[in-house]
Amino acid sequence: MSLPDKVSLTMTTKDKYKKVAYYPGCALEGSGHSYNRSTKAVGKALGLDLVEVKNWNCCGAMEVKNIDPKIQTYLSSRVMSTTVNEMDMDVVMAPCNGCYHNLKKAEYDLANDDESVAVVDRLSKKAGHKTYESGQVETIHALDWIKDAIGEDGLKSRVKNSLSGMKIANYYGCMYTRPRHIFPEKDQGPGSESTSKPHFMDDLLAAAGAENVDFPLKTACCGGAHTLSDSDTSTKLVLNILKTAKMCGAEVIATECPTCHSGLEMHQIRAEKTLGEKVDIKILYFTQLLGMALGLKPRKVGVHENINDSIGFLKEKGLG
Amino acid sequence: MPIHEKSLIRPENLTTHEELVLDGVDVSGHWSTFIETRVVKDYNESLEEEIAALPGGEQIHRCWQCGSCTNSCTVNAINPDFNPRYWIYLIRMGMESELLRDKDIIWQCVSCNKCTYACPRDVFPEGVMKATSHWLEKKGHTPKSPSMHFDEVFTEQIVATGKIEESRTIRRFFARTKQKLAQPWMIEMVKRMLRGLPVGLLTRMGLATLVAPRTSGWGSASAAIQEYIDEQHEKQAEALNLAQLVETAKQDVAA
Repeated sequence: MSLPDKVSLTMTTKDKYKKVAYYPGCALEGSGHSYNRSTKAVGKALGLDLVEVKNWNCCGAMEVKNIDPKIQTYLSSRVMSTTVNEMDMDVVMAPCNGCYHNLKKAEYDLANDDESVAVVDRLSKKAGHKTYESGQVETIHALDWIKDAIGEDGLKSRVKNSLSGMKIANYYGCMYTRPRHIFPEKDQGPGSESTSKPHFMDDLLAAAGAENVDFPLKTACCGGAHTLSDSDTSTKLVLNILKTAKMCGAEVIATECPTCHSGLEMHQIRAEKTLGEKVDIKILYFTQLLGMALGLKPRKVGVHENINDSIGFLKEKGLG
Repeated sequence: MPIHEKSLIRPENLTTHEELVLDGVDVSGHWSTFIETRVVKDYNESLEEEIAALPGGEQIHRCWQCGSCTNSCTVNAINPDFNPRYWIYLIRMGMESELLRDKDIIWQCVSCNKCTYACPRDVFPEGVMKATSHWLEKKGHTPKSPSMHFDEVFTEQIVATGKIEESRTIRRFFARTKQKLAQPWMIEMVKRMLRGLPVGLLTRMGLATLVAPRTSGWGSASAAIQEYIDEQHEKQAEALNLAQLVETAKQDVAA
């Protein structure tokens, strides 16, 4: 790891995250479009700058990792290489848990595994761009971004439509916290994120006035990896999450990952159609909830692009 | 009962005698059930090495059978036969035929990484599950799993363009696994998606279907990646001795 330069030594995290490279990833260009829309809208409302990574490519996702993990490491490293070498930026923000996880994993592999370094170097040279070296870029999630750049107090002072009276189950999924070793900054005591009981989303939504319910399945798996290839398993896993959230008293499940989000939406319908199990609960991205709390209209944060219909519910809560 | 002795009490390994006299002592009744004597001789001594030669399986030798993986497993909670700890044991012992009993479910690992999180020995059980399902397919014990089809369709698209366009991936996956796209829940999902009139999203998705999104200047990266993948496949085929497997099969057919 290279030593931080003078600039970042004098800059606090708050300043550092005010302008970051933005890596939306493939899902946010398609099924997760409302997450893309709401993330940008929240950034704008909070005065934070997002500069999209130039000519980005897929991070490799779970699928390429299954075919060959080192190709996934290369694909993720190319995104970071562009960030540092072509955009001269040192923080990249990925709202998608999959992208975030993969960039973190590539960073870990490149810092600890010589073989990965050799493969990435070989592929980067053949592809004709500079090889990414570990330590050049810091990868953060949309949660880190808002939590560190604005913070709970900053958010509280900007809330126009409080989410008070809204009961929310915060669902973080798998890739945001597991496996532990690729997230060295987590589990570092007060103020840091926990891998066993994550709370960043809870903190932000609480600052926006929401009431977070005690939800034991925060980091349970939705079966997203096999959402189409083993749908029965995914439906069972999703149904368990939906029912538990409901039993915990939640009206809304807040999500932070496009795969989890569309998995919950899809299998909520599939459970209804194939198992006759209907669970009436709303599913919204945490950025959509924050955006509305900041005074944005539901359409501005893409609520109409969700499959799960929450428009009537939001009107009832005074957010429509 | 130790995990590796479980197989001994399967019905086919047990004999119950109605009446039995041993050395002049009548042992009918409660004492009449016996585990059949058997000799295990179909060990595959290179099984552990073969799994370790596939991506994800490298650390399997570190396992000390604590069972944290199975204990934390998402799939085990809905199917008790899904038992990573047991499979790791069988692989290390070379008990191939016992492993093959579960060949049709191993690919169902959802990669939630709870096992990898819990493992005190850094075995990366999630990777071992992937390596094992690849091994089963490469050795011809199972047909390609739906998950493998999905991974291949996905990876092909990334190698070709650098990016994923979801509807194309889904259509290709359904075609390759010979499933009908118009399933009732799928139709319902599309209906509900259209309800909010997401004009921007639809235009975007429609355009993406017509003109697949691609990373510009991807050609050289694409070639480099494909070359590497081919190289790795060759190496793996060598480690698994696949050429000989094919040769033996040919001879069997000829005979």
